Amino acid sequence: MGHCHAKVTQPTTDEVFSKLEVPSVLARAEELVRRYPVPRSALLPMLWLAQETIGWLPQEAIRWAAGKCDVSPVHAYGVSMFYTMYKKEPTGRFFLQICQNVSCHVLGAEDIIAHAESTLGISSKGGTTSDDLFTLLRVECLGACGNGPVMQVNDDFATDVVAGALAMPAGVQLTKERFDRIVAWCRDRAAKLPQEPLRDVSGGAFRTGGHPGAKGATTSPQRPDYAPAPPVLALSVQKTEDGKAKVTWRADGAVTALHLEARRDGGAFAPVATLSGKDKEWVGEFAAGTELRMVSESQGRRAKPSNIAKMEA
Amino acid sequence: MATLTVTQNFGKGASDLSVYRSLGGYSSLGPRLFDLSQFELIDLVTRSGLRGRGGAGFPTGMKWSFVPRGSGKPVYLVVNADEGEPGTFKDHVLMLEDPHRLIEGMIICGWALGVRSAYIYVRGEFLPAIETLNRALKQAYDAGLLGENIQGTGYSLDIYVHRGAGAYICGEETALINSLEGYKGQPRLKPPFPAVSGAWASPTCVNNVETLMALPWILENGPAAYQALGTPKSGGTKVFSVSGDVKRPGVYEVPMGTPLMELLEGKDLCQGIVGELKGVIPGGSSSPVLTAEEARKANLDYEALAALKTMLGSGAVIAFNTTRDVVGMLASLTRFYAHESCGQCTPCREGTGYADRILKGVVARKGRDGDLEHMLDLAANFSNTTICPLASADAWPIENFIGKFRPEFEKAVAANPGHAAPRLDDDFRPGAFW
Repeated sequence: MGHCHAKVTQPTTDEVFSKLEVPSVLARAEELVRRYPVPRSALLPMLWLAQETIGWLPQEAIRWAAGKCDVSPVHAYGVSMFYTMYKKEPTGRFFLQICQNVSCHVLGAEDIIAHAESTLGISSKGGTTSDDLFTLLRVECLGACGNGPVMQVNDDFATDVVAGALAMPAGVQLTKERFDRIVAWCRDRAAKLPQEPLRDVSGGAFRTGGHPGAKGATTSPQRPDYAPAPPVLALSVQKTEDGKAKVTWRADGAVTALHLEARRDGGAFAPVATLSGKDKEWVGEFAAGTELRMVSESQGRRAKPSNIAKMEA
Repeated sequence: MATLTVTQNFGKGASDLSVYRSLGGYSSLGPRLFDLSQFELIDLVTRSGLRGRGGAGFPTGMKWSFVPRGSGKPVYLVVNADEGEPGTFKDHVLMLEDPHRLIEGMIICGWALGVRSAYIYVRGEFLPAIETLNRALKQAYDAGLLGENIQGTGYSLDIYVHRGAGAYICGEETALINSLEGYKGQPRLKPPFPAVSGAWASPTCVNNVETLMALPWILENGPAAYQALGTPKSGGTKVFSVSGDVKRPGVYEVPMGTPLMELLEGKDLCQGIVGELKGVIPGGSSSPVLTAEEARKANLDYEALAALKTMLGSGAVIAFNTTRDVVGMLASLTRFYAHESCGQCTPCREGTGYADRILKGVVARKGRDGDLEHMLDLAANFSNTTICPLASADAWPIENFIGKFRPEFEKAVAANPGHAAPRLDDDFRPGAFW
């Protein structure tokens, strides 16, 4: 929450590591590292994983994530402070975030925020109710402006309660009445369920072979020749002022050789010239009615022939 | 009914693979794609006139052609789903409604560039969309549409979802790459451009969600058909996120070049303005605002909006009526940019905060004569003097809101009884970052 340093009592290393160094978390940590060419890049997901497990991100959890990603603790600490969604202090069970940005502002977000503050009796700058049920935070654009003003309850968008669940139906905006309904829904849920079930921060990501070459990965790099060889495109032939034929085309940069072929009267194509892949045009002499085509070659593979261009009379 | 190229599956439950397939999905994964060389596919996308739908509008085919092949380094595809521009929510809805179209688009782009590992960078707030994407990815893997040696072609592609953690600036492509790599999301200097040296110093293509989702239609119907849907310079269709004072806000796909008022008042579209139109922000919070009069002349394509000195941006249209207070709106925007400045470049770090503190003072009836000039002066100084365009994105609204609605700002300053006295309080000095 915010970029600020937490002013709360930090749990000890043992308290934090005993929750994180368990097989289920370690298996997920290993899979995260496998997704990127270097372990460092798994830092954001690793911090998420630590936050999911602990409920917020104490300093020792940042140290744990740094260790898993082969970065210094201070690097991980700096990164975690840059991003606002890492919670630097514990929040209430229902973390209410109300958007205050321009679309929501236009449609009365400030009224809703003021209503929320007075209803819950807490500040909208991260205040938590004394029963630890609600934390209220005004945030910047949540990316659901069509429903403005909008709110998130933990990780779900909510502008109303529909059929006993939080929902954001198309075109339904948050109003004071709907806010009260959502708060009532939360209180009701708190009475029935002793605690919020864990929500997978990675959205149910599944295991794949991983990035080729990463630690523990089982995959191989892309084959260079999976796609057909690049043919010559837009072959055309024009008569120059001195009666010669000027041939132009477009070819891929990867082409190593170009084979120009010609035929007359619908016969078989015969080679005329072999050009380098870097050539851009070719001038030669052909009788009127000669048909030309070009076959490109790249790394020993011949592409399908180009279109056929005909020498005008 | 206009032709839809991206949103045709909305409301049909296409996030499920079997439904998506029954609607014609993944039909490009056959001879239509596998018989194309990389060169031909890039050429085809170039001819379609498709331009980047994330904001900058750079031609997609040209961007792809900059990615070197055969350099010996892996090529990465990074999908920019860090949709944070206030007013924009199209990618959010697109991912929730039709995740398989994004995956199909990524397979097509991956084929063109030789991508082995692709990452979808989704902003952290979109956990429900991340869950939808992961379910779709699992279905695609199980059906053999992703993974190693896809359908016996020898082509392999893995897609991972990378969750952001709350930073608007990560929508800038080099900041996004830094964030993906495990750094703070601070933009990099260009050049080198990501196409040459991006993620992990390898060639990287960063494309917006909507851009990639247009590819299956283009492959099926041909580039000429796509180009013909729009204007000669802005081909195809565009998905707009409309919010604010309209009767039916939401996500709408219309051909490029559609008049702005048709989008706001069309029967199948937003169905009209609530109250009397005062102004429209046409392309996300950073695009210069249009007055009602200008909005009536505007067409929705890159060139027509550039002629009105604004931009199409991400296609986020925010309409507001005559009861709305533009001073408060601008204050909400300047606060946003001050909050989201990454802190890397001095003009932006200090300037956006300074402008924000001045405007906060005006809103709190502590404005002084000269505050508006002061803000305009600041905006002129912090635009185009930084690594990325965030500072400019703050300067444009400041210049245009004050320029086009000046009497209201002057009235707000005059609301302070002591507005003529010189400013002595320390609140507005530059210095404090947060």
